[in-house]
Amino acid sequence: MTAQRQASSASQTPLISPAELSYLYTSLSLPDGPIRPDGRSATQFRPLTAETDILPGTNGSARVGFADGTQAIVGVKAEVEKTVVAAEALNLSQHTQEEYADNESSEGKQSSTAGHGSWVQMSIEIPGFRDDDALPVFLSEMMREPLVESVAGGQGGDGEMTGGLKGRLVINKRWHWRLYIDVLLLSQPLSYPLPLLSLTTHLALLSTKLPKLKSKGEEDPFFDDDWNAAEYLYPRSQLKSHLSSTQQVRPPVTLLVISVGENVVFDPNREEIAVADTVLAVSVTRDTDSEGLKLLSIRTVDPPSRLTQPGVPNSENLATLGSTAAAEEAAMLEQSTGEEVSGVWRPRRGGVKRRTIAKMLKLVLEKGGVGEEVLEGLEGVQVG
Amino acid sequence: MTDRRRINGPPSGTRPAVFASSLKSASSISTARPRRQRQPDELRKIFLKTGLIPSASGSAYLEFEPSASLAAARSSPQSLIPPSSALKLACTVHGPKPLPRSASFSPNIVLTTHVKYAPFAARQRKGHIRDASERDLGVHLETALRGVIVAERWPKSGLDITITILEAEDDRWWGDAPDSHDAPWGMMNVLAGCITAASAAIADARIDCLDLVAGGVAAIVSDETPEGEPSTPKLMLDTDPAEHKSILSACVVAYMPSRDEITELWLKGDHSKASLGTTDQNLSHESLIDGAVNAARGAHTVLAEAVKESAERFAGLPTGGNTV
Repeated sequence: MTAQRQASSASQTPLISPAELSYLYTSLSLPDGPIRPDGRSATQFRPLTAETDILPGTNGSARVGFADGTQAIVGVKAEVEKTVVAAEALNLSQHTQEEYADNESSEGKQSSTAGHGSWVQMSIEIPGFRDDDALPVFLSEMMREPLVESVAGGQGGDGEMTGGLKGRLVINKRWHWRLYIDVLLLSQPLSYPLPLLSLTTHLALLSTKLPKLKSKGEEDPFFDDDWNAAEYLYPRSQLKSHLSSTQQVRPPVTLLVISVGENVVFDPNREEIAVADTVLAVSVTRDTDSEGLKLLSIRTVDPPSRLTQPGVPNSENLATLGSTAAAEEAAMLEQSTGEEVSGVWRPRRGGVKRRTIAKMLKLVLEKGGVGEEVLEGLEGVQVG
Repeated sequence: MTDRRRINGPPSGTRPAVFASSLKSASSISTARPRRQRQPDELRKIFLKTGLIPSASGSAYLEFEPSASLAAARSSPQSLIPPSSALKLACTVHGPKPLPRSASFSPNIVLTTHVKYAPFAARQRKGHIRDASERDLGVHLETALRGVIVAERWPKSGLDITITILEAEDDRWWGDAPDSHDAPWGMMNVLAGCITAASAAIADARIDCLDLVAGGVAAIVSDETPEGEPSTPKLMLDTDPAEHKSILSACVVAYMPSRDEITELWLKGDHSKASLGTTDQNLSHESLIDGAVNAARGAHTVLAEAVKESAERFAGLPTGGNTV
């Protein structure tokens, strides 16, 4: 029951002893760079295998597996659906259009191309969790948010992606695509599954194809039945060679960043996240109209280090003091002070300084930073 | 088998119709949008009172000041539909209490947060079972509070925090088409209110905390000038989503002033375009976080007063009196 209750924090309460936690924390917070248990550098990701288009029944799919055996599959399905416009909204927008027919025509157009966030549905299944548990709900909200939030300007000549993913789903005023993104974690969640699920979703969306539209304008939609003619949901611009690959609209990717002491560590595994001071989930994407990366959302995740058991320093430990009554009494008195003793694990308390947040974000967003590196790496996966 | 003998109403809720004849002109619609009367860095007044629910070990009630347009609409109603809404919520704290026998050992207090909208809280009716957004709010609140409570002082105990939202903030102005901006911006204001109220209720239950944590919201908005031209994006504190045509991005923090630390940060939205045209450093994500922190500092002053009142009540002193 306790495990269920606390499942919303970054992962299950880690079963690591206070001595181990203290050892991990000290080695990760060393002033000249962290020493990680698996020997990675601070910004290095775990090795992974990825493939796309594995499920023939979907519009796009991907599978990603980490070396520790955790695997995730994502399938993306698209459906055509009739757009429901609330009567009052229709009335009002018609009024506005009549009134400002000349100078507000651009706005009228905008309202027809803007999509709705609820057209993207995401469901996450994690073994051992009910689908209304806090962790799957939190994860799916965390990953859906940047997906529907991203609004591309389309100034880079890539007119198709105006309005971001929401805009892309609009067929015409009366019809739209509805996107179902189903995320399946195949293994037990050994570490916090966010990076794995986010990378898999990114690849699945990259490989998603929608049938080519044959009808024009406000007609009922009619599609080309040749699957080879289908178009990518996130268009490729091989033909437009003036656009380098760094200027295409890409699905967002959510990175998990932790801070330990003064150090910032990316893609933490289970042991590392257990001692983190702060856990941030940062969503970034690339866009046509800006040079660097765009920040779409930040969320703090409850670090599991707050739930750990404290260590007992030798000065308070009855076993090392010898169990004389006086020593016992002294230990009882001292326990209430709860001072920090170096080398003895205390559960983390308090929050994060703004300085640390800024440092973490800079590492993600800067030119040549981790965010760009990840997106470039994902670009290298053969799609289609 | 469908019921063919009766004409049944729609299965889900409907919203009141707006008759074209009741609208004087199209221009009246665009002027009917509530406008922000406050300065960009001016917060709404907060009403916060502790100890209103006697059966709970700690409780707090929080209310935001209704916007000027709502107050005007209440005194001289033009339409059945209120122009905006103001947050009202009640928070109860039960505990610390022993965990049930079946629960496994926990060296720290086990925090459970439960955020529920009353069915009538928002324009769209909420069901009796918590939906995804309410669960999401609960997780955010838990993150914000767990960093503050000194958890190891109550091993093997539980603490239940229940928040009932009686009136929620709007996500947008009701007259806007639903697709104009559909992100749930109102949720962020609700979360900030939840954090402040929960903090007061925890203090009212006399549970040890590192500091009083307060919630604050800041947003980058691009408004329309009265001529209908979009103006340059601005950073505003404590935004009421009904008052703004488009909110580009918003941020809510849970902030502890005395330690200058953030326990919960939730930023969303795409403000890259806002900072693209200008060289204004005021529109970066750092300034957005700083803005939210400033808003939280404002809420903290109210929180400190409310907790002081609670302490005086506890000590048996007459509240508000300066008896030395």
